[in-house]
Amino acid sequence: MATAGNKSINAKLVLLGDVGAGKSSLVLRFVKDQFVEFQESTIGAAFFSQTLAVNDATVKFEIWDTAGQERYHSLAPMYYRGAAAAVIVFDVTNQASFERAKKWVQELQAQGNPNMVMALAGNKSDLLDARKVTAEEAQTYAQENGLFFMETSAKTAANVKETFYEIAKRLPRVQPTENQSGMVLPDRAMDRAVSASCCA
Amino acid sequence: MRIAAAASKPLNHLVAFEHKRDAYGFPVRPQHVQRYREYSDIYKEEEEERSDRWSSFLEDHSELNESLANGSSGDSHAPSSESKQEKEEEANKGAGDNLRTEKLGSDVTLDNASEEEGSSDAEKNVHRVQLWTEIRPSLRSIEELMSIRVKRKGDLSKGEQEAPKVKSLLSFDDAKSSKGASENDSEDEFYDVERSDVQDGSSSDSTSVSGIPVSVDASSAVSTCPWKEELEVLIRGGVPMALRGELWQAFVGVRKRRSKDYYQNLLAADSFGNSIEQGDVQHVDDKGSNTDSLAAVEKWKGQIEKDLPRTFPGHPALDDDGRNALRRLLTAYARHNPSVGYCQAMNFFAALLLLLMPEENAFWALTGIIDDYFNGYYSEEMIESQVDQLVLEELVRERFPKLVHHLDYLGVQVAWVTGPWFLSIFMNMLPWESVLRVWDVLLFEGTRVMLFRTALALMELYGPALVTTKDAGDAVTLLQSLAGSTFDSSQLVLTACMGYQNVHEIRLQELRSKHRPAVIAALEERSRGLQAFRDSKGIASKLYSFKQDPKSVLVDSSKASLTNGSLSRSESGSSNADEVLVSLTGDGEVDSVQDLQAQVLWLKAELCKLLEDKRSALLRAEELEIALMEMVKQDNRRQLSAKVEQLEQEMAEVQRLLSDKQEQEGAMLQVLMRVEQEQKVTEDARRFAEQDAAAQRYAAQVLQEKYEEAVAALAEMEKRAVMAESMLEATLQYQSGQLKAQPSPRSGNQDSPAKSINDQSPDPPQSRISLLARPFGLGWRDKNKSTTPEKLPENVSEEKKPAAEGKETDAEQKDAKVQDTS
Repeated sequence: MATAGNKSINAKLVLLGDVGAGKSSLVLRFVKDQFVEFQESTIGAAFFSQTLAVNDATVKFEIWDTAGQERYHSLAPMYYRGAAAAVIVFDVTNQASFERAKKWVQELQAQGNPNMVMALAGNKSDLLDARKVTAEEAQTYAQENGLFFMETSAKTAANVKETFYEIAKRLPRVQPTENQSGMVLPDRAMDRAVSASCCA
Repeated sequence: MRIAAAASKPLNHLVAFEHKRDAYGFPVRPQHVQRYREYSDIYKEEEEERSDRWSSFLEDHSELNESLANGSSGDSHAPSSESKQEKEEEANKGAGDNLRTEKLGSDVTLDNASEEEGSSDAEKNVHRVQLWTEIRPSLRSIEELMSIRVKRKGDLSKGEQEAPKVKSLLSFDDAKSSKGASENDSEDEFYDVERSDVQDGSSSDSTSVSGIPVSVDASSAVSTCPWKEELEVLIRGGVPMALRGELWQAFVGVRKRRSKDYYQNLLAADSFGNSIEQGDVQHVDDKGSNTDSLAAVEKWKGQIEKDLPRTFPGHPALDDDGRNALRRLLTAYARHNPSVGYCQAMNFFAALLLLLMPEENAFWALTGIIDDYFNGYYSEEMIESQVDQLVLEELVRERFPKLVHHLDYLGVQVAWVTGPWFLSIFMNMLPWESVLRVWDVLLFEGTRVMLFRTALALMELYGPALVTTKDAGDAVTLLQSLAGSTFDSSQLVLTACMGYQNVHEIRLQELRSKHRPAVIAALEERSRGLQAFRDSKGIASKLYSFKQDPKSVLVDSSKASLTNGSLSRSESGSSNADEVLVSLTGDGEVDSVQDLQAQVLWLKAELCKLLEDKRSALLRAEELEIALMEMVKQDNRRQLSAKVEQLEQEMAEVQRLLSDKQEQEGAMLQVLMRVEQEQKVTEDARRFAEQDAAAQRYAAQVLQEKYEEAVAALAEMEKRAVMAESMLEATLQYQSGQLKAQPSPRSGNQDSPAKSINDQSPDPPQSRISLLARPFGLGWRDKNKSTTPEKLPENVSEEKKPAAEGKETDAEQKDAKVQDTS
């Protein structure tokens, strides 16, 4: 859940998409600015965190990079439940991965957090010759379903940071009170504990 | 096997990359390079130590081994003992020689690999030779022990119909086998065992396998084995790298699982297209129809292909040959068990196995691990994996309530992190040495217990650090990075095995059966929810189209129901009859009923969602309550501390007062002391004064006495004076009488004195009287005076003295006068 407090926001973000669409590569590019030709297959899920400064706040992304294989689908709810944002990744050179992305969008609309910020990332945009899914097709689909669409390339780093930046900007600034108190309370408790120990 | 060969080839390459890759050729994360270097020496020492221990263990049991070898295959005694010696020599070489050992082990393969480049027809034969190798005979007894487990499981899963099939296969193989003498021996040996197994399985009674008395209960047989405990301790201490591949095979019971040519035939199905061979492919038939499995395999093919380069990318042993072997292995497994097919994670397992053993051995090991150890884990729904996570969560909750409380508070689910741990069996989650050590125990135990124990041990090791984290991201990052730096593999394994002995298979089974329904229900709920969502969308679109063109839908449904109705007349099905009635009365209602059903489903899903929301709200409430309690506690503490402060201030004041008082007291004491001193002084003075007074009194007394004496003397003198006066008067009277009567003859003589007296005579009486009177009067007065009280004795005495003296002088004068006169 994204939480606002003193202009710093913690946002849980989940990456979903077909096998080999480039989820892990996108994260690796975003978090470490690295790229490897053969990224090890993700088993279950992997976690990363990265902080991003937008004009009015700093957003700390807690990124869950999930496994792409269809059967790992059953574990996905554990990771997208309570997420403030989702990046649904497909491979522009693979029509099937686009279909799979649509399924993910559908599932998130049905099961996910209704305020979730969703981004559709058409990855591997550097492979111009092998393109199977056109930007227009994806753009139309994104508009119809209330997502924003970006063509990315983890290899060339094109639009990777931009995608996360856009998500950070779109994250709701005013959070449900329930969550706000959730983060503020422990902070206060900590402060008090400190001050109390100082007094004592 | 070819990977093993490949591993020995790029030795220089390995050295060059030493700073980035560990002894197994796996990459070391840059942040851990330093720690890995620190531990690599320890690993080397440990490896040498355990090689020694293992070789002595194997020597101790060599007699048993030989008897077993004799029992299982009559005439293979000589070669087996020979090869044993050779192998033990290898084992003694220790960790540093891992690669060399692999090379030795794969000598045959290298030769065969070159042969392989011959015709495709020959290739098939070569495959058969090179892909399968027996494990060294010294480990045979361990294999026998562990295989008991396999057989029993095999019996349970495959059932009895399998037995005759295998038997027929055996006869087929026996007839076909025409290899070298030694290999013949080993295969005979193998099938002897297999045959006895089959007998064992079909009779399902207590018989003896290869001379070891075996009871029906395999586990009891395992536990009754005299050196089983010793073996367990050895395995927990780690398996020497040189023996690892073979011991793993022994643990999984590869030889027992193997049925000859099965692997080749699985692969042959590929090369011969759709033409399905007779024989072992029947196994595939058991799992599903051939066409299905082939279609599935085609589906897996793409995924396997994608994952091949993504399996330990850059590992020196995984070159083209290695990846081809990996492809064959994964494809064969997908065909062997289409219900699992290919699941990501298996690529890593298969690659690890290929690094340690020949291809076919790896296939059977993989089969054992996925089919038995992790049955239901990697299947389509991954139910067992989810169940295990719930079980683990319960165990963690039970063991580390403080940690779980903190994680709940941060909103972190243990399963987020442990799920991938279990699914990958810690591969890429822990340093490799630790992964292999966990695998040693896991494969030996034959259950997933070690997964739980290891996860709990990691929680124990890193829980205290996790409790200090302040948000979910930090907690997960910390746990991941700490787990990734668990280089002390011995500590990990021992903590896991010793600390969590009450986490055992029976308990886990109970917990699993407790949690399984929840997982299945959730799964159904979710799929239903999705279905309902789609249905609700369907309703919306239907309603929309109904608005646009009501007739089209009505016509459609009426058409359908009419056709159904026409069919139902012949079938006389009740539901169809209903539909007919409906269609007769009102065409649209069928649709609405379906809509209602969909809506009910949808509402159910909504309800589930609401329930979930409620549950999370409750959790939230609890969390808030806890937070509130904490705040109250903090508050109380603050108040208390304020009070304490106040009290302390008061205390300080009181203390100040006390010190003031003490000072005053001191001053008073000083004053008192001074006063006392003064008192003493005055007392002294008084005493002196008293003494003085006493002395003076005494002096006064003495003086008084003297005075009295003097007075007495004076009185006497007065008396004398009086007497003398009276005498003088008398004389005077006599003289005057004589003078008056006759002037005496001596008048002349007496004239001169008389004259002198006469000279004085006009007034002598008066003067004499006055003379007499004066001292008398004075004495009289003095007498009166002395009667007055003595105030100052000194003065008195001083006054008296001259007076007394005066008197005395007077008295003396008088005396003298009296004498003169007389």
